[in-house]
Parts: sequence; structure tokens; C-alpha cells
Amino acid sequence: MTEIHDYVRMEFAPERASVAPDENLLAQGIVDSLGILKLVTFLEQRFGFEAADDDLVPENFSTLEMIRDFVERKRKP
Amino acid sequence: MDLSFTPEQLALRGEVVKFARKELNAGLVERDHQQAFSREGWDKCAAMGIHGLPFPREHGGSGADVLTTMLAMEGLGYGCRDSGLIFAINAQMWAVQMPILNFGTEEQKRRYLPRLCGGEWIGAHGMTEPGSGSDSSALATTAVRRGHRWILNGTKTFVTNAPIADVFVVFATTDRARGFMGVTGFVVEKGAPGFHVGKPIEKMGLKTSPMAELVFEDCELPLDALLGEEGGGTRVFSSSMEWERGCLLASSLGAMERQLETCVDYATNRRQFNRPIGKFQSVANKIVDMKVRLETSRLLLYKLAWLKSAGGEAVIDAAIAKLHLSESWVQSCLDAIQIHGGYGYTTEFELERDLRDAIAGRIYSGTSEIQRNIIAAQLGL
Ligand SMILES: Cc1cc2nc3c(=O)[nH]c(=O)nc-3n(C[C@H](O)[C@H](O)[C@H](O)COP(=O)(O)OP(=O)(O)OC[C@H]3O[C@@H](n4cnc5c(N)ncnc54)[C@H](O)[C@@H]3O)c2cc1C
Repeated sequence: MTEIHDYVRMEFAPERASVAPDENLLAQGIVDSLGILKLVTFLEQRFGFEAADDDLVPENFSTLEMIRDFVERKRKP
Repeated sequence: MDLSFTPEQLALRGEVVKFARKELNAGLVERDHQQAFSREGWDKCAAMGIHGLPFPREHGGSGADVLTTMLAMEGLGYGCRDSGLIFAINAQMWAVQMPILNFGTEEQKRRYLPRLCGGEWIGAHGMTEPGSGSDSSALATTAVRRGHRWILNGTKTFVTNAPIADVFVVFATTDRARGFMGVTGFVVEKGAPGFHVGKPIEKMGLKTSPMAELVFEDCELPLDALLGEEGGGTRVFSSSMEWERGCLLASSLGAMERQLETCVDYATNRRQFNRPIGKFQSVANKIVDMKVRLETSRLLLYKLAWLKSAGGEAVIDAAIAKLHLSESWVQSCLDAIQIHGGYGYTTEFELERDLRDAIAGRIYSGTSEIQRNIIAAQLGL
């Protein structure tokens, strides 16, 4: 989780000291349509899975908590 | 990667070139001056089957594969000097017809595709807004469901074909809390209550392709105007952009080839200091660079066509092709003008128009800067 938090903060909100786990990244435009490409590439490379088109839904990417849960689900064999 | 062409594919390209030269160039300097769209040229292209090339036969198309389509579009760019007309056709094919084919309901496909492929109706695509261009998904236009209606409010700008279009694919947010994942696509017909098209927007080039704003003031749409899923608009938009980025510029490849031939011819025949100017290395080198840009562009485009034929996503390849082709075209236009000296600067030689038309390629379908951002993101940067 720390790793995902640090990546999102540094990449998308460098002016901030931290991003809360339940903050809505999409509503605030912290992660936008170009950002999601970067984020997914990072998650795929770092955690070794492949995201499908159908994975790109708000339920997986709205908050840091949701991203963490999504990554855990994807990593399960 | 197999990029060999069949005799049928090459014959089609040849036919398109012949058709375009004969039918589409008359009166172009004047049309450009008057910013006049050629409906006649549009209809002829549709009758030739251009609009429907890669679309299934059951929807009024010819069912051609991507590589064949690109080859034909390249032929169109080689034979037809009216880049505005070609741009208008491409804008419809990739950003209206393709999303309707890929995301539309059976009813939407039945209603719109035959009319669009046949040239009877004209389509336009509205994403850009006064406050959101490159950051397209930060759009302000809203769509709210009220009973059996969607109510749209907002303004779209720089919409190619808007003044002449019958049907529009537009995007609005249906749930701001979902950010770009709350963007939704709609199909809007001319005359929908609360919808109107603004005054034509004058521009530097592509003058024969009309452009305007779209205004939605409590515009009422039926529920089945939804294109794709609610909240699925970014996917619809990105998918059309991937097609558009790749295919729109196939025609500029043809234009670059035509320009190269014109320059070789001019450099061979124009004499200064008792020899053809092509014998001066600085002139020859410009032409060599034009040739190198043409061939690298061709390979990138055909690779993209091959990837798309295999059915895969090609985000990075589409961005690379778009970036390289659009920048190459601008540079080749500048070189062509320079090689022609003062004549190159005149309207009569039609090279200055090519340049004005080419510059738009660095802006539409995502600017060169945005293509670089996409490539960087794909590289994990
Ligand atoms: C001929 C033509 C036809 C068009 N047709 C249509 C159409 O049919 N439908 C439609 O919806 N739109 C259309 N457009 C609009 C086009 O898509 C936008 O103009 C384009 O996306 C850029 O948006 P903008 O003009 O608001 O510029 P901005 O986004 O404001 O960009 C201004 C400058 O800032 C740069 N910039 C912005 N963000 C970044 C970043 N993150 N990193 C680096 N640089 C950045 C841009 O590259 C550009 O140089 C058309 C445009 C043209 C020129």
C-alpha cells in the first residue's frame, strides 16, 4: 500500500505531502485518462499481472484502498 | 509482420488515385479561398466506396481489412489535393462510424451506418470544449437522466463537419464523482430539442472542411441515444482516437509522396548557375530527407495497420505513428516550399496550402506533446 501511495503521490500529486486512502482520485482529477495508463503500467510491472479492459472501472481505481484491493485480487492465482 | 500487398490491394490503390485525380481537384484554390466544402466531392467519394471501406457489408460498407483501407486512403491523399475534404471524410469514418460500429446497439448500427457509409448523412464528433482540450475528460458538459430522457447541457468546440452534419457523437459527464470514468458517449441527431450548431469557425488551413461549436441547452435525448455503457465514454473516445490517429494520417502519406515527386521534378528542371538545382547538395539533401521521412512514416503506418488487423490494442504504436507522420508532413511541406523558392510561396503552386493543412495534424486527435506523453506513459516514465 505504501508503495502504491508513494507512486500515486509522486506521480500525480507531487505538491502534496500525502494522499488519504479513501480520497476520491477520479473525482478530483488526480488520476485522469492519461494518468490511468501510467498507473496501470506501473501496477502491472511492479506486481506482475496484466489488467484487462474490463478492469478499468471506478470500483478498482477511485481510491488508494480500492487500488490496493484490485491489485490483491489480480495477484491471486 | 507480413506487409506484402496483393495485386487486388494495389489495383484498388491505383483506382482510387485515378478517381481522385479526375474527380476531386477541380477549383480547389478557389474553394480553399472561399472556405467551401465540396458536397459533390463527398458524394463522389461515398459512391466510390471510400466512407464504407472497412465497415461490414451488412452495414453498407465493403468489409475491407485495415491494411487495404490504409492503402486506399493513402491513394486518396496522393491523388486528391483537397486535404480538407479528406480530413472531413476521415473525421467521420474513424470518430463517428467506428465508435457506432464498435459500441453502438444493433438499432444504432442499422440506423446510422448505412447512411454514413453511403454519404447520405454526414457525421461529426464532439469531445473538445472551450475549457478542456488535451485534458479531454475534464469536460464540463453534463448529461442527467430525467425520466425517459437524457438532458444535456454544455458546449463543444472545434467540431469538424459540425455545420454540415446530420448526426453527432458527443461526450458528457454522467457522474462527476467518477472523473474520466464518468464520461459517457451519446448519439445526437440534428434538430434534437435544445441542440444547435454555432457559427462556422475560420481557421488557418483545412479550409474546405467546415468546423463549428455545438451548444446544448437542456437538450433532450431519448434514453437509447446512449453510445456504449454509461461511464464508458472514455473507452469509446480512446478507441476512436486510436483508429483516427493511425488512419487519418494515411492520406498524408500519399500527400507526402506526391510532394516528393513534385520536388524531384522541380529540382531536375529548374536551373540556376547553369545546372539543375537538384545538383546542389543542399537541395538534394532536403529531398533525401523527405524520402527518408516518407519511408519511415510508411513503415510505422503499415505496422500499425498490421497490429490493428491482428485485432490487438496499439496505443503506443498509434501514438508513434501519429507523432511521426504529422511532424514529418509539416517538415516536408516546409522543405517543398524552400525547394521551390519564391514559387513555392505562391498560392498558385499549392504548396503553401499543403503547409497550412499539415500544421493541423500536430494538433487534432491529440497534439504532438500529448502523443509524446502517451508514449512516455507506456514506457513507464
Ligand atoms: C483542424 C482541427 C480539427 C479538429 N476537430 C475536432 C473534432 O472534430 N472534434 C473535437 O472534439 N475536437 C476537434 N479538434 C480539437 C482538438 O482535438 C484540440 O484542439 C486538441 O485536442 C488540443 O486541445 P486545445 O486546443 O484545447 O489545446 P490545449 O489542450 O489547451 O493545449 C495547448 C498547448 O498545451 C500543450 N499541452 C496541453 N497539455 C499538455 C501536457 N499534459 N503536456 C504537454 N503539453 C501539453 C498542447 O500540446 C498545446 O501545445 C480539432 C482541432 C483542429 C485543429
